[in-house]
Amino acid sequence: MKHFPTRRAILGTASAVTLLALTACGGNVGGGAAAGNSSKYPSGPVTLTVGQAAGGSTDLIARALAEGATKTLGSPMPVVNKPGANGALATKEVAGKTADGQELVLLTASLITITPLAVSADEAVNIDDLDIIAGLSQDDYVLVASQQSGFKSFEDVTNAGRNVTFGTTGVGTGSQLAQTVLFKQASVKGTDVPFDSGKPALTAVLGNQVELATIQLGEAMPQIEAGKVSPLLVFSEERNSFLPDVPSAKEAGYDVPVAQYRAVAAPKGTPQEVKDKLLASFQDTFKTDAYKEFNKKNLLTPKELSGEEVVTEWKGYAEKYKELVEKYDISLGGNK
Amino acid sequence: MDFLNPVINGFSVVLEPMNLLYCLVGVVIGMLIGVLPGLGPAATIAILLPLTYGVEPVTAIIMLAGIFYGAQYGGTITSVLLRLPGEASSVVTVFDGYQMARQGKAGTALGLAAIGSFIGGTAAIIGLTFLAPLVAGFALDFGPPEYSALAMLGILLVATISGGSKAKALIAASVGLLLATVGRDIFTGESRFTFGSIQLADGIDFVPIAMGIFGLGEILYNLEERHRAAKAPSKVSNVWPSKAELKHASGAIGRGSVLGFFLGILPGGGATIASMASYAMEKKRAKQPERFGKGAPEGVAGPETANNAAATSSFIPLLTLGIPANATMALMFGALLIQGVTPGPQLVEQEPELFWGVVNSMYIGNILLLIMSLPLVGIFVRILRVRAAILAPITALITLLGAYTINNSMFDVTLVVVFGVVGYLMKKFGFEPGPLVLAFVLGELLESSLRRSLLVFDGDPTGFFTRPISATLLAVFVLVALMPGIRSAMAKRKGTTAASASAGDGTNNDGANNIKEKV
Repeated sequence: MKHFPTRRAILGTASAVTLLALTACGGNVGGGAAAGNSSKYPSGPVTLTVGQAAGGSTDLIARALAEGATKTLGSPMPVVNKPGANGALATKEVAGKTADGQELVLLTASLITITPLAVSADEAVNIDDLDIIAGLSQDDYVLVASQQSGFKSFEDVTNAGRNVTFGTTGVGTGSQLAQTVLFKQASVKGTDVPFDSGKPALTAVLGNQVELATIQLGEAMPQIEAGKVSPLLVFSEERNSFLPDVPSAKEAGYDVPVAQYRAVAAPKGTPQEVKDKLLASFQDTFKTDAYKEFNKKNLLTPKELSGEEVVTEWKGYAEKYKELVEKYDISLGGNK
Repeated sequence: MDFLNPVINGFSVVLEPMNLLYCLVGVVIGMLIGVLPGLGPAATIAILLPLTYGVEPVTAIIMLAGIFYGAQYGGTITSVLLRLPGEASSVVTVFDGYQMARQGKAGTALGLAAIGSFIGGTAAIIGLTFLAPLVAGFALDFGPPEYSALAMLGILLVATISGGSKAKALIAASVGLLLATVGRDIFTGESRFTFGSIQLADGIDFVPIAMGIFGLGEILYNLEERHRAAKAPSKVSNVWPSKAELKHASGAIGRGSVLGFFLGILPGGGATIASMASYAMEKKRAKQPERFGKGAPEGVAGPETANNAAATSSFIPLLTLGIPANATMALMFGALLIQGVTPGPQLVEQEPELFWGVVNSMYIGNILLLIMSLPLVGIFVRILRVRAAILAPITALITLLGAYTINNSMFDVTLVVVFGVVGYLMKKFGFEPGPLVLAFVLGELLESSLRRSLLVFDGDPTGFFTRPISATLLAVFVLVALMPGIRSAMAKRKGTTAASASAGDGTNNDGANNIKEKV
């Protein structure tokens, strides 16, 4: 019995040393690939992390993109879901990884442009901590009204002359920003009722628990087509091609361009060659019929920008939204 | 007959080979853990939750449901043969079942229990088939005010009906409510009790809590419990009861089906309470109550029917309203959420295949159980020989691995360990974990619905009484809250005459108190 601990200790040390040596080796190989010859990229599976739960629209986009890029990049691209804090959790985690292009994150614009208006600074994500590879698509918000409300156009709402209730998809979302700004601009008095996501907000409109709600087009479309809710406005700058008869907020005379945009990002400092290679493979994916069909089916408008364009545009929106909420004295956080 | 179309389509879902396979796997696992006195269905479902992540939602729920009602069958076997209830819901079966076994009628007892379970289960599924669409018809009338009232009623019932100490149940429920407040306030974006941790920004996830408290906590607690060594089971012969015996028990089976069905629907109700209520009822109704405890067949048939009927009918509030009636249903709720399905009034209409697939799988599952339970009794009893020292580490490992896979998060694993310790301590000090977990689930619903309602009502709380459904629910809430007071007042007035009448109840309550409730 007395020998036992000693023997175990020796064994333990030996295995620990072996393990250390092995990992050190692995580290060298990995490090070499990242720093040196980037023509060897990708040096294994490229992980695409999604900050939203599986099955949501962001997740679906990630999977459609990964499926195409697996072929064009010649390396598997597994999608990993790490939901939490509107995607801030996943984004911050990927931002802290080695900048070798093996770890990517699917970034939503609202996290950069709107969420910082509602949460404390340490929960917010800064776009400068990331290298944006490519912009993907635009997902429009539509303002819908319940049947019992009797609203058929936004003019009906402005003419109603009473307090209206409106559902949002949550605090710090585009849905909340778009509606609060719109109602201020149109001098409509409204009560903001936040829901957890688009689905319960839509259900509340269907049951007339709230009169209005702003939700993503893909979620609202089946009920719009069934005639159970009336679309009043889209918040994109131009009309949405899937809803050609519905005016945009801009046409109606309101300055509130809000939509959800998505892009792929890598940790800051990713080598230019790696970024170029990724961008090329994504652009090849954009051209495939399968990916185009996916966008169409999910009512997404392609917005396939370069990384620099995405940064400029999103920063512009962040600036604009900040001005808007300050101008109209809107607090996305502690409202009421 | 339009309404029957989705029902029939549901059968085609069940009959897909994959779903049939998972149904079989579910009921076999259910029977196994039913036999094992350590693990209950809630713990098992908690442990297996992450494994269902990769399969289709309908397949996953079919399997998990199979575990739940399968355990009701399994628990009977050890109650009858070894005087060792495998499940809390089979505790009352011990009283007469074991006596029957000693009289050489073990086969008859098991046969009656299996037939009763089958009838009770099937009756409850038929009830579910007709009642669920009815409730779902009101789907769009269920807004925030209705949900607030429902959640309040649910929490009250859970805290007051569940077995054991009321005060402790209320404490556990309060802790559950408190835990539900952690995370970002969804109305103001303010962080609450997150201590600056971004991991807690969305609040604590339900699944790690359930896996910790039910799964790991249960495993730890069982390590400490010393189980009696399994004795050689009595010989089992003539499993099929005679015609006379069947006729004798048919009344008990009929009453058990109805009683179990209604007690299962009640929030806070479920299989355990149904079995006890049925035993008490049979004893009260019997012409010779002294036969009970000495091998009365009704004492086995009634409770076994009722517990299975209740296990099935407790799916009704979950699938139609999104309100879990008991701890196991709270786990089903978690399983559905993992799959991206939000249970609620919309489920029947939006996901008819899922809804009817799950409901109809229960017919198949019950038939499978009836076929399996009798011939395989010997094999299941042998499982008892597996030592806890082997079983516990394996289950603990599966739990922790599973916790990681859901969100790929080490933080969740830490949460499971923390709540595992919490669950263990709760059991040790006699706190039921059920109220905590249910209050946690309902707490989120209560807070958000209540605040949403008040926004819609413009801050006027009387608004709740202007809507028929929420007004009714609140009236029931008040009634239930005042019930103990009314009861004691009535008991006082009745005076001495009541004393003799309640003697039957008294013995039953003793039985309930002696049971270490297992979920």
